[in-house]
Amino acid sequence: MSQSTSSYISAPRPGETSWIWLVKIVTGPLLILVLILHMIVNHFVGSLPTGLMTYADIVRYYQNPIIPAIEILFLITVVTHSLIGLRGIILDMNPSRKVLSAVTWFFSLLGVFSVVYGIWLALTIASKGG
Amino acid sequence: MDNTRNQPSAGKFWSWFIPIGRQTGGWAFALNRVTAIGLTFYLFLHLAALSLLAQGPGSYDNFLALTENPIIKFGEWAVVAAVFLHGLNGIRIILTSFGVGVTRQKQLFYGFMIVAVLIILIFTARMY
Amino acid sequence: MTENWKITLRVYRQKENQASHFDDFQMEVNPDEYVLDAVERAWAFHDRTLCFRHACHHSTCGACGMRLNGVEKLACITLIRDVTNNGATLKVEPLRNFPVASDLAVDMGSFYRKMESVTARAVLPVTEAEIENPPSKWDADDSQYLRLSDCIECGLCMSACPIMATTPEYLGPAPLAAAQDQGLKRKPELLSIVDGEDGVWRCHSAFECTAVCPSFVDPARRIMNLRLQVVDMRLRKLFGKS
Repeated sequence: MSQSTSSYISAPRPGETSWIWLVKIVTGPLLILVLILHMIVNHFVGSLPTGLMTYADIVRYYQNPIIPAIEILFLITVVTHSLIGLRGIILDMNPSRKVLSAVTWFFSLLGVFSVVYGIWLALTIASKGG
Repeated sequence: MDNTRNQPSAGKFWSWFIPIGRQTGGWAFALNRVTAIGLTFYLFLHLAALSLLAQGPGSYDNFLALTENPIIKFGEWAVVAAVFLHGLNGIRIILTSFGVGVTRQKQLFYGFMIVAVLIILIFTARMY
Repeated sequence: MTENWKITLRVYRQKENQASHFDDFQMEVNPDEYVLDAVERAWAFHDRTLCFRHACHHSTCGACGMRLNGVEKLACITLIRDVTNNGATLKVEPLRNFPVASDLAVDMGSFYRKMESVTARAVLPVTEAEIENPPSKWDADDSQYLRLSDCIECGLCMSACPIMATTPEYLGPAPLAAAQDQGLKRKPELLSIVDGEDGVWRCHSAFECTAVCPSFVDPARRIMNLRLQVVDMRLRKLFGKS
């Protein structure tokens, strides 16, 4: 092969992308499970006629420690899945390495921030009861 | 040769969302992308709205009154629809990614979408 | 005796440094002929400047790939009656995602280079081919029997892939299928080529490639399988086995 093909072949950091894909494909079904739980709980057992919960319902509900645990698991799963997916869409727009790096950083920070915020919120609600 | 037409370009990414002339898989891909973006938007909106819970019963229960608004109700319905369309198509993707049903991906898509529509109808009946 | 149809062949025209346009050729055709026959007749009797590729006329060379009414097909095996009607217009355009060299002929160089970079095999031992109803056990010397690879490198899949449209860097369905065909266990040097943002992970399961492949390659299925091979290799490396 006389011609260099390097301009046609990407130069990935070896192995990085496999893991990201694996995380995406694991969070998918996990999300389905936790989502079903979340929807049943949040839309079928509340005291409002629509099934939604009032503030008082929610606080009471969060007294059981399994609830904030599930909700936090849900949050981590959905944020991870969604941000990896968004990054994938942006990848398909063929950004430069610099832009991609900035996007990855931004999403990572956004993800961490969202999870930290969610954990704080869950614990705050749980502490309002009792 | 100076020819920039008909070549791949980043600007053509809009073609994902307008799958005219594409076959079943192409439409499934577009549907999955559109629902993904919609759901992500909803996710962060939802997380922000939940901060009202930290402000106490007054703020949150007032906010709940908003959910009676027909536009919000429609939005909620749209989220439910998007969840099932994206989720079931996602199951199809997981299956085919592991080599299951690859040769039947069209049928899988139609099957899952029928299930999605049924579930959405059930939810619609329940919500309204 | 089939009645002839009157159709309009609407052909994409583009010569170097000129804007593209469509030319309409009013033709009388036998609907049981192939679209390639109509294109050739348009060239022979209407416009000798029409440029297009054709060779074997029986779907083994992959030269005549084009878009008929927007869908990628091999013109030599597509019956006229399958893509148009009496009195209707048949739109003929070149493949997407390749620069147009002249009219319906596109520059496939980038595609061939990608195939070379993954050392795509044109010929392989029958013991390594995916065939229907293989024997439960091959004999030791069966590998002397060779078989042409299913992939005829026609490029229809590269045109149909929605990801290919956004970046020339993506390897694309056919090269990835060719890599899968060799197997990462047998050719571990392919791992770093296919495991990356522009390799196997760029596929989003649109399945458009398999939908248009005229040669039973089923690139989508092969890409899915290749992904599992990549994950398998990475897991092995992680846990120190080789």
